Amino acid sequence: MSDLEEYLDREVPRLIIEQVDANKMKTMAAILRDPYPVHWDKKANATLGLDGRVINQGPLNLSYIANMLIAWQGPSCIKRLQARFLKPVLDGETVVATGKVVEIIEPEAGRVRVQIWLSRGDDVVLEGEAEIEISN
Amino acid sequence: MVPVDQILSLKGFKFPGGSKRIEHWENWLLTDCTDSGQLPSNLVHPIALFHIPIQGVDTSISELFKLGMVEGAGSVGLEGYDWEYFLPLYEDIDYRFEGEVIDVERIQTESGGIFDRFVFRIELTNDEGELVSRVTNSWRFWRKR
Repeated sequence: MSDLEEYLDREVPRLIIEQVDANKMKTMAAILRDPYPVHWDKKANATLGLDGRVINQGPLNLSYIANMLIAWQGPSCIKRLQARFLKPVLDGETVVATGKVVEIIEPEAGRVRVQIWLSRGDDVVLEGEAEIEISN
Repeated sequence: MVPVDQILSLKGFKFPGGSKRIEHWENWLLTDCTDSGQLPSNLVHPIALFHIPIQGVDTSISELFKLGMVEGAGSVGLEGYDWEYFLPLYEDIDYRFEGEVIDVERIQTESGGIFDRFVFRIELTNDEGELVSRVTNSWRFWRKR
């Protein structure tokens, strides 16, 4: 793609999750066969000082980033996802998925590197990089 | 606390391996959990690379917790993922899975906490032997907060 340079420093349209849903965490736990109660038992988190709340699964946090990228460049655009988990996200919280193109890595394949992060207010809760094949 | 030699001995542990198909209902529910609409052409949501490889090598999150000798709230944390997508992943196709624990390290934090970093890698191939995806997951098994 000859005009790939146009993408450099461009921000990916943000995706806002208005309210992280505890019921989706329960379904997710069942799909994952995840025995870790912090995702589905509100009482389990009392020892962590989070009584009455549940912690979103890491893969769900990353899925918001994936959905942002898919909305931008299509359902098969993701070629690599690298993520570091920094802070937990709780039910009821609002998070924002954001990305920015930082490098052209394979011009012939239309592949770029995107810096990605998920934030809650001013807190970055997940950060990393994605390799994306540009098609739009 | 779990003896350090015992946890470090997990490096090189190979999972049984096996094959698995991602059924439509599972992909539908998984995608719904992410707040996304369903993807076209029976494509599997990219986030399936968390649990499908684990189940595909014939283990489970529960078995991994047992392997790491952890239980209870706060005993496990995610550190990071590195997921590579070489070919699209589709519903209702059998994939082959192989993987192993590639690194284990005991870490002491600046605040005096202790955790074991547990890193495992799993590869997915199709029936033609092509590499479809590779996942490398790093977890923290907390010994002392």
